[in-house]
Amino acid sequence: MFDPALFKLPGMRRLTVILSLLAVIEGLCIIGQATALSVAIVGLWHLHGLATIVQPMLWFALAWSARQLLVVGKNHLMYPFVERTTGDLRRRVMQKLYQLGPSYVAKTGTGNVVTTALEGIDKVQTYLMLVVIKVIDMLVIPWVILIFIAIIRWREALFLLAIFPLIIIFMIILGYAAQAKADRQYVGYQRMSNHFVDTLRGLPTLKQLGLSRQYANNVYQVSEGYRKQTLAVIKIAMLSTFALDFFTTLSIAVVAVFLGFGLIDGTISLLPALIILVLAPDYFLPLRQFASDYHATLNGKNAFAAVQKMLALPVATERQQLGTQPLNWTANSSLSLQAVDFSYDGAQPALKKINLTATGFQRIGIIGASGSGKSTLINLLGGFLTPMPGHGTISVNGQPVTHLSQQAWQQSFFYIPQHPYLFHATLAENIAFYQPAAGISAIGRAADKAGLTAWIKTLPAGLETKIGEGARGVSGGQAQRIALARAFLDDRRKILLFDEPTAHLDIETEAALKQTILPVLDQHLVFFATHRLHWINQMDYVLVLDHGQIVEQGTPAELAQHNGAYVRLRQEMGGAI
Amino acid sequence: MKDFLATFKHDTWVMPYLRKYKKLLALTLFLGLMTFFCGSALMFNSGYLISKAARHPYNILMIYVPVVLTRAFGIGRPAFRYAERITSHNWVLRIVSDFRKKLYQAVSKHAVAIRQNFQTGDVLSLLADDIDHIENLYLRTVFPTVIAWTMYVLIVLALGYFTWWFGLLMLLLLGLVVIVMPLWSVLINGARESRGRQIQQGFYTQLTDAVMGLGDWLISGRQQDFYDRQTKPISEIAALRRQDHRFQWWRDFTIQLIFGVICLALLVWSSFYWTTNQASANWIAAFVLSVFPLVDAMQSVSQGVSEWPSYQRSIKRVNALDTAPIDDHDQTKLTEPFALLRVADLNYAYPQTQRPIFHGLNLTLTAGEKLALLGPSGTGKSTLLRLILGDLTPDAGAVQLNDVPIARLQNERAQLFGVLDQQPYLFNTTIMNNVRMGNEDASDAEVRAALKAVALEPLIQSLPDGYETVVEEGGSRFSGGERQRLALARILLQDAPIIILDEPTVSLDPITESKLLDTVFEVLQDKTILWVTHHLAGIDHVDQVRFLEDGQFDMAGTPEELYRREARFRRLYELDRGQEGV
Repeated sequence: MFDPALFKLPGMRRLTVILSLLAVIEGLCIIGQATALSVAIVGLWHLHGLATIVQPMLWFALAWSARQLLVVGKNHLMYPFVERTTGDLRRRVMQKLYQLGPSYVAKTGTGNVVTTALEGIDKVQTYLMLVVIKVIDMLVIPWVILIFIAIIRWREALFLLAIFPLIIIFMIILGYAAQAKADRQYVGYQRMSNHFVDTLRGLPTLKQLGLSRQYANNVYQVSEGYRKQTLAVIKIAMLSTFALDFFTTLSIAVVAVFLGFGLIDGTISLLPALIILVLAPDYFLPLRQFASDYHATLNGKNAFAAVQKMLALPVATERQQLGTQPLNWTANSSLSLQAVDFSYDGAQPALKKINLTATGFQRIGIIGASGSGKSTLINLLGGFLTPMPGHGTISVNGQPVTHLSQQAWQQSFFYIPQHPYLFHATLAENIAFYQPAAGISAIGRAADKAGLTAWIKTLPAGLETKIGEGARGVSGGQAQRIALARAFLDDRRKILLFDEPTAHLDIETEAALKQTILPVLDQHLVFFATHRLHWINQMDYVLVLDHGQIVEQGTPAELAQHNGAYVRLRQEMGGAI
Repeated sequence: MKDFLATFKHDTWVMPYLRKYKKLLALTLFLGLMTFFCGSALMFNSGYLISKAARHPYNILMIYVPVVLTRAFGIGRPAFRYAERITSHNWVLRIVSDFRKKLYQAVSKHAVAIRQNFQTGDVLSLLADDIDHIENLYLRTVFPTVIAWTMYVLIVLALGYFTWWFGLLMLLLLGLVVIVMPLWSVLINGARESRGRQIQQGFYTQLTDAVMGLGDWLISGRQQDFYDRQTKPISEIAALRRQDHRFQWWRDFTIQLIFGVICLALLVWSSFYWTTNQASANWIAAFVLSVFPLVDAMQSVSQGVSEWPSYQRSIKRVNALDTAPIDDHDQTKLTEPFALLRVADLNYAYPQTQRPIFHGLNLTLTAGEKLALLGPSGTGKSTLLRLILGDLTPDAGAVQLNDVPIARLQNERAQLFGVLDQQPYLFNTTIMNNVRMGNEDASDAEVRAALKAVALEPLIQSLPDGYETVVEEGGSRFSGGERQRLALARILLQDAPIIILDEPTVSLDPITESKLLDTVFEVLQDKTILWVTHHLAGIDHVDQVRFLEDGQFDMAGTPEELYRREARFRRLYELDRGQEGV
């Protein structure tokens, strides 16, 4: 019911105590309201006039209003805490996200990350709001009522006491039965519920195959099958609600009948009997309220656990081994990796014994078949991935570092992937992303160097046009040019990491883009991963990767002389033509 | 209110279904009503029972009937409730089956306008969600409201039977709970809903932007900017939720107060009406106690109704779908085998734009010919394909197969064209089922033969479940090249004379690409092929090359001719081979 992590939240203990006290007062109000109402009814039952019951009626009104006010009051008390906690969680999730970096997003999926931060925390909010008050009510109010009933008449109190755990046990047993049944059917169930979206997404293909009309009946059949299975599960799942309902209403009926016999026997008089009868539904109310929100709380609990798990993930430490200021990379600077290993899962190495030294403004091409580890190596060089600890050494300008997720290093390079991300902002803001203080004329010059001027002229608001949102309205070639404009705008970053920048472009766009890229390569340390072979002509050093290892490295001319991996790869790729 | 009625004016999604499974619907509502009736009746009866018992009747049989009734109502309430839950779900799920079929048919009319990118994927999920949403409209709003209103009418009538002015009073007080408060909720919520969605949507966009651009944030070193950017939407969302909660708390408080007043009113009324003698005074407790079980049923109406604006959006969206049947009276068939595809003097401009895509375009393709179409993105390669397939109608000029306009061959399409595009869709079922979709009548042996022809046999045989392996969502079990091969096998079974290749290799590496192209042109050697490609790898497989630029073909000829004649072609060709030094 209660996640232990809840109690670790700041302010939670104090709040629990206050809410418990308020629950006791609420219990007393319920008793007061029941007693006043019973006194009024009994007065009328004795055929007394309206004037005689004005006082109990007022007391009833008072107790009833006080009770409802307490409900609102508890919410008011709880809410700032919930708001603070969830706001805090959102901020912490965002901070954690920044520390975890893009490799975490790649692994988890953008959709999942966004869902956790948005809907996940919404669910946590609902959970906190519901669960704390309801659980406290359930643990306090029934006892207050029960003690009062016991003072009046212990027999009914004993019955009510005994039935309470019985209900819970039944609900748990039936809950498990439903879970087991649902689990058995889960696979088929899941497939059918996904079937519809699957079919919709595949519609163009169905149409191409001439199947789209007859598939309508298939959709209906599968949905009907889904209905039958769902009903089978619901029949069991609803049993636990049924048990709760059954025992509570039947208990009230039993209490009423007990009291009836007691009254005939003369062992009790009408007033106490009526009070007990009025109180009986309120005795069960907190339990019913808790049960009705049980599923919402379950979702919230899982979401809470997921958020806690994300916040507990380890992050790269020692990110300031090179200081916090960008490096001043010169012709004499150097980067060296010796026998570095990397693994995604901690067992199977994805990169093995990487040895490489890059100095000054070298241009280093990285080639290899798909799956050979080109992108992994670029990500390692960018510090988005951290090497296996204790496997090999990395040093920058002779200074050893544990990984390249160094603040100083990351502020010294540009990373240009196959699909550069464009922010949902104006074109100018996108170009100036790395230099938010840059003036509009500088941005315009950078855009011009990147060959964007002609395109910008066709845009409604020029540089101030909003782009982004999944790069809509911007072609692949233009997106690359925007990324290049960022590099033109900021010439202090002397290192460039390219990861297949032109692979998906049509050949004419690629040829034109190449003319723009070439001048950027001067006076920069370049790492260029590609399977478009013509780029190799512009490189002065090449690494050939195969199955996560550098199998050959040297200048293109040297490698062309050997009849090794480089020559074989070129032949295989060139064979495409 | 006008808005409410306007939603249903041309409604084909909500109202017709209320009529469709009438009996089940009536049963659901009856069971729901009985649930609350039993709840109230239990307290009513119990109140009467103990009042009567307190008069010390000389014979226990005097209270025998109330005792039995008490138990009956006690068991009846949970039983009716359970039955109501089952029948209401049964009813709603039946409707969902109908909805799904209908949605499918509506969407399938425009199937080809849906490109398989993630945005339209989202639109589809959205529509699928809308259906689930309408499901909740019934369960959370319609049923509880109808039941509460029926209870309301019954109670007012019953009390009015005893004393007309008291009936009127209850009409007023309970009317506050089941009519005024829900209307107030929906008004307040309707205004807030659109703003809430705006904020939520803003935060969603902001977050997605932050997550997808995380790499850039990280290396830009703008950590503080990144944090600061989230602060505003976080506090906006918090403020929004705060208002929502406050409103709900005080609304529920008001409803509870009204019930307090109802109790007091009952006491006052009883003091006039039921205190004439001892026997009638026994009914006082009955009436007063029966109020409490009603609170639940009537309070939930406000919350249910306040959710209306979000349902309304879903209803509007599905109603906006075109569900009219397709007009196909002028469709015909190709009587002769396919001999000639002709595009003549084609003019086309996108609707709502002035910019013409094609102006007087001509293209002829005879049976067995293979043609490659190149051009920078945005020049209209895909548009040309859609015109050829008949998904778009030309502004002027003709697209014909053997002199029959393509628009009249739409029912024949699958027999005439096979299409292999960038991301052929694989359904979440077995390999056999996926491939057999090309030709439902194909035998197992024919399916296997097709898979063998596309060189997938060794791979499939190495899988534990072999040909019965499930491809998983979107075919994610297989690599890009393997997915294309599976789709190619499907096309082989389809056996159409014309094959459209729409950049099938764009996301593949060069080695996979060249192997796939070898297979494609080998197995399709006797077909007519129109191949849109982004570069020149594999260009030697075709007879003709066309470069599309500014709505015209600016280079045309065989690959060899172009290589000899056109310096630009030569340069691109060398670049693609990695020979270009620049």
